Amino acid sequence: MAMGMAVDTVGELAFPVWNPIRRRFPPDSPFFASGNVERELLAKQVALDLTEDEINHLQIIVETESRRISCPIAGCPERLKSLDHFEDHYNARHTASCSVCSRVYPTSRLLSIHISEAHDSFFQAKVARGYDMYECLVEGCGLKFKTYKARHRHLVDKHKFPTTFEFFKRTQLSKKRREKLQRQHVSKLKHKEDKEEASSDAKEVEDKASVDGLVSALSTLTTADTTPSNVSFGRRHGRGLTFVPRSVHREKRTEYSSAPGPTN
Amino acid sequence: MADDGTASNRRDPIKSSVGNVAGQRRRQQAVTVAKERRELLVRAKRLCRVGTNGDVEDACVDNEMMIDEDQPILEAQASKAVEELKSAVQYQGKGAMQKMVIALRELRRLLSKSEFPPVEAALSAGAIPLLVQCLSFGSPDEQLLESAWCLTNIAAGKPEETKALLPALPLLIAHLGEKSSAPVAEQCAWAIGNVAGEGEDLRNVLLSQGALLPLARMIFPDKSSTVRTAAWALSNLIKGPEPKAAAQLVKVDGIMDAILRHFKKSDEVTATEIAWIIVYLSALSDIATSMLVKGGILQLLLERLATSKSLQLLIPVLRSVGNFVAVDPKAILTILIREQNTEESIVGVLAKCLRSEHRVLKKEAAWVLSNIAAGSIEHKRMIHSTEVMSLLLRLLSTSPFDIRKEVAYVLGNLCVESAEGGDTKPRIIQDHLVSIVRGGCLPGFIELVRSPDIEAARLGLQFIELVLRGIPNGEGPKLVEGEDGIDAMERFQFHENEELRVMANSLVDKYFGEDYGIDE
Repeated sequence: MAMGMAVDTVGELAFPVWNPIRRRFPPDSPFFASGNVERELLAKQVALDLTEDEINHLQIIVETESRRISCPIAGCPERLKSLDHFEDHYNARHTASCSVCSRVYPTSRLLSIHISEAHDSFFQAKVARGYDMYECLVEGCGLKFKTYKARHRHLVDKHKFPTTFEFFKRTQLSKKRREKLQRQHVSKLKHKEDKEEASSDAKEVEDKASVDGLVSALSTLTTADTTPSNVSFGRRHGRGLTFVPRSVHREKRTEYSSAPGPTN
Repeated sequence: MADDGTASNRRDPIKSSVGNVAGQRRRQQAVTVAKERRELLVRAKRLCRVGTNGDVEDACVDNEMMIDEDQPILEAQASKAVEELKSAVQYQGKGAMQKMVIALRELRRLLSKSEFPPVEAALSAGAIPLLVQCLSFGSPDEQLLESAWCLTNIAAGKPEETKALLPALPLLIAHLGEKSSAPVAEQCAWAIGNVAGEGEDLRNVLLSQGALLPLARMIFPDKSSTVRTAAWALSNLIKGPEPKAAAQLVKVDGIMDAILRHFKKSDEVTATEIAWIIVYLSALSDIATSMLVKGGILQLLLERLATSKSLQLLIPVLRSVGNFVAVDPKAILTILIREQNTEESIVGVLAKCLRSEHRVLKKEAAWVLSNIAAGSIEHKRMIHSTEVMSLLLRLLSTSPFDIRKEVAYVLGNLCVESAEGGDTKPRIIQDHLVSIVRGGCLPGFIELVRSPDIEAARLGLQFIELVLRGIPNGEGPKLVEGEDGIDAMERFQFHENEELRVMANSLVDKYFGEDYGIDE
């Protein structure tokens, strides 16, 4: 069925749908660079007696030197050598995930803001009393607002965020998806813990220097469900169940899987 | 990526005899060399070790190659050789010719043996003016040959070294003429090829000094080695990116016939250099393109692609096909389809390239297919109905990034009709989309969404939109969710690229909004 509308509008902006076009490149385009390098290495192979390994190695060096990948997360200055390096970097630095609701944030600062806003009754209490609690999400801006909506307006007006941006998404994730996310989360944590020493709550509280430490210290003082993001779920390590607010708990009743092994 | 030492670590540690140590060290250095030396290896210039008259460089055997430590010695010898040459040039008495040739030969040997010839030393000692003098008209062939050979290797190095040849260019060009002996002309062509390979400025100088015509004429005869060298030099001369040299070449009477003839009949090495000329002509000159097509180049290209196993040849041949298709797919494809037979059909030949182990071939073959897939419905069906589909799906999950990106273009193009006119939204070809998704392409596209490359991420998001919109019975969202598509799209909330942020957000909002999953 052909679409009658000229443009598919979502929100106020049109999605640039796939449109097949021919792509033509000039002879000196970087698109052809690896073929050109290959041409010269092959021609000189006879003279220099390079093995195929060395040729491949040279190819890689030539290509990667000119093609470092900038991390695309806003505010991150990292430039990585290869896609694999990028994946490692991303997983190490930009996947702070909330132990309560499994949402993932690209920095620990944003995660801690999320935890405060979404899972902390102490936070909500202060909001109710009229304090400016909703921080601007852009690091370094420093402004705070009384309501979620006010902050949203600030992000759109001052920092050019899209109007459809929702820091706290009300998306109802399907059960299956939440299960899967938790399994992944657990296995990622297990992996991390195999590398580092298992950190206990006590250690966390002591480590006041790190932001994470502050967040966890704060949260251990509340009666809320927040726990530091790098502590695993209860059952596996025999620490007992973490506190979970009743609303979320109800949905997760059968969720804690004891199944080992990663799902990815 | 890998440690510089690992390449040599893979070598058998038992083989540590003295002769091999030097070879090993040299090989190790070849890989761990400094950046500028690495650049020399990938530059479009070539060192001459075997003379055009068949003279094999005696020290050209592997384990006698000098290693870096001997460099100062080499340089000292080079300076000395230039001094010798100077006195030989000045010498007026009996046997002057002989002295000159001996001095030239010594300098030539020093400039040909080692991996990194002592060019700088030779230049500082004043080699160029002497070599220019040795090129003067009427000199004996051997003298001309040896000087041209020295100049060739001087020009094979760093940019400043190549530029040093400027004073010699007019004479080098002059000796390309038909009156010169073949080995002399060939050696001069080689030197000129190195100069042309340096950069656009030098190419322009050569063109203004009239290098193109005599070089082009060297392609007419059938003699292989001359044609080979001249064709290589010519390809360096016309590579542009300005099209004027290519345009000049086309005007040379009879050149297109010669190119077609050689491409059809020559051995693979010669055909390789001719193929590079075709690459540049097809990219830079429309006139050349139509003349070549009329001359039947397309069928010849497909034949070579189908039968050759030489990577060196396959690269320019494939790229030529790509250039032709990119210019005018409809006309090209009409011709190709008309002359089709199963072994040499264009899709079959491209499938062969996709099956190859060579990265460049896979990537550029996918590029050509993507352009074919951007054509008419018949062209899309032509691709979709062949075994190429399973190859593409496999490549989407397993190959390196740059290949995956090209494959993504093919698959996406197959699923959408090309829009007529600016206003209509392009229509989804549902049966293609369904079969490709069923073939398991979704994880690959979602992987692209996660990539830091903006173009790839954009492609991934666009394909996801097709799936969300075009899969029947509203099954798209479930499929996307099942492959962690939502997760991948949510990454974009904090992405610095606004367009991608908006695209991702709009998809999540529209298809995975509040009502989603509520029934479960």
